[in-house]
Amino acid sequence: MLNLMRNEWMKLWHKKGTWVMVAILIVITAGMMALMKWISIQDSNFDNGSGLSVEVQAESIPDWHEGVQGDLASIQTRLADDSLTKSERKKLEGEEKVAEYRLANNIEPEDHFSREGMIKQPADIGGTVLLLTVIVAAGIVASEFSQGTIKMLLTRPVKRWKILTSKFLTVNLFGILLMVIGYIVYILLAMILFKSGTGQDLVWNGKEVVEASVWGQSLYMLLLSFGSVFVTSTFAFAVGSVFRSSSLAIGLSLFIYFTGTTISAMLSKYEVAKYLLFTHMDLTQFETGMMLVEDITMPFSLTVLAVYIVVFLVISYSTFVKRDVTA
Amino acid sequence: MKPVVELKNLSKTIGSKKIIDSLNLSLYPGQITGFLGPNGAGKTTTIRMMVGLMKQTGGDVIIEGISLRDNFEEGLSKVGVIVENPEMYKFMSGYKNLVHFARMHKGVTKERIDEVIRQVGMQNRIHEKVGTYSLGMRQRLGLAQALLHRPKFLILDEPTNGLDPAGIREFRQYLRQIAETEGVSVFVSSHMLSEIELMCDRIAVIQNGKLIDIREMSETKESYYYIEATPLEKVKELLVNEGLAVEVFKNGFLVNAEQQQIPGIIRSFIAEGLEVFAVQPHKKTLEDEFLEMTGGGQIAESYAK
Repeated sequence: MLNLMRNEWMKLWHKKGTWVMVAILIVITAGMMALMKWISIQDSNFDNGSGLSVEVQAESIPDWHEGVQGDLASIQTRLADDSLTKSERKKLEGEEKVAEYRLANNIEPEDHFSREGMIKQPADIGGTVLLLTVIVAAGIVASEFSQGTIKMLLTRPVKRWKILTSKFLTVNLFGILLMVIGYIVYILLAMILFKSGTGQDLVWNGKEVVEASVWGQSLYMLLLSFGSVFVTSTFAFAVGSVFRSSSLAIGLSLFIYFTGTTISAMLSKYEVAKYLLFTHMDLTQFETGMMLVEDITMPFSLTVLAVYIVVFLVISYSTFVKRDVTA
Repeated sequence: MKPVVELKNLSKTIGSKKIIDSLNLSLYPGQITGFLGPNGAGKTTTIRMMVGLMKQTGGDVIIEGISLRDNFEEGLSKVGVIVENPEMYKFMSGYKNLVHFARMHKGVTKERIDEVIRQVGMQNRIHEKVGTYSLGMRQRLGLAQALLHRPKFLILDEPTNGLDPAGIREFRQYLRQIAETEGVSVFVSSHMLSEIELMCDRIAVIQNGKLIDIREMSETKESYYYIEATPLEKVKELLVNEGLAVEVFKNGFLVNAEQQQIPGIIRSFIAEGLEVFAVQPHKKTLEDEFLEMTGGGQIAESYAK
């Protein structure tokens, strides 16, 4: 199996396209960071340049107190609602504790555009990695058919399921590698472009308010954003191996990726939305709180995703192993 | 001699159509067997079932006593395959391609790869990308990948497609050499009958999914004579009276006669006052025999067989 994977890895990196993909990933990630920096500059210019005198600004510094107080008030009104589910209530109570703690101890919330703030949200690279991994996943089986090399590959004393497994593992290894490359570029630029902030990010751990771990949170978000990469590339891999057409596989996968959330949002009122793949693909929703469908939990999402993955792989393996190769 | 490969009642049914119908065939070490058949007879399907590209619906392929059905990996580890044009990874060098395929077999060393490269005479360009190779180079590389693991059985589907005459000749000699020195059993399918005739010790002919003939090429060929004389009806009558099989050919007849019968036949012709234009030995080519067996083409009614 190791030799088969070495083969796939060798073939992958002998294609120019693969290197181009890495370059694209680096350029897009860097571009996104530059854009963020530009936006953050525009924002601060807007604050400074809105005709306020220095004295007024000095007075407006404790602004965050008002903000936090406003948040606290809205949390409390929502908490008064009896129709909240248990998990929602727990979450709001945690937020309430954090807000009270901030006001009591005079701790400023973290700026979104601070270095720490940036490091904590590396999920954006997931989108680029997803696009590139899908291209590789769609082509890794389909290209053997289109080049005609499938005949050479399957007339070896190696069972077909082993060949397919080596390809699937290689796709995922490639996805992970891209995530790591993207992450390194992202972190480096976050360090270079953004200043360390004065604020602190706080969380309620159930007993007390503690400072959130920057790197822990960062890696956790990275892991969650790999979820959609894994699911979408598995889908592309399955379509590519069943229909032997990489363009069909790329098209369908990206279609699902882009329209899936819309479909889920449209159906969110109905029970069926809970069992759609799209509803669960973005695992970062549990951290950002932007849930597509209410009252789903992480374990539930993981279960639904696992079922879909198994279905995709079963279809892919059974057709690949049984197929009569005539081309 | 113990056969290297045995096909036992090999069958393939697609839908309700029997593509291959209970094929039985044994292939022996050191022997080159040609596989002939008209288009659509099932040559390619048979070969694909022998190398694991297609699944048989009945019967089995036995390679050195191992059934492909029961133990695919071990059975196929003794087989070297060239299926039509050997398609390689064009974006990699010839050497990397060989390394790739070597990794899929057990026990192919670096030295063995170099040895095979020398054997097929590709030392000079092996590190260039396959995309830059000519068809002849690619055929050599295809042969190299099939030989890496020292197969006991080499199976080739249309191997000389696109080779120039010198290349074909070299290829033929090379096949002969490995068959004889290493005792490899070789199975070649081809449309090029003259090619098969020069290359093979034995031919198997398939038609409509059935094996219709297996014959040794070295078998003493039946001798035929071409006789041209008039009037035709009289000639035919005389020949039939001699107890010979008669076949219309060009302006005269082909008869399946032995050399010592010929003077007698000519004497009787003269005695009967026939005008004799030509009596000459006729060598039936494989092409004639093939067309005769498969009934293709414009062959006149046959009294023989």
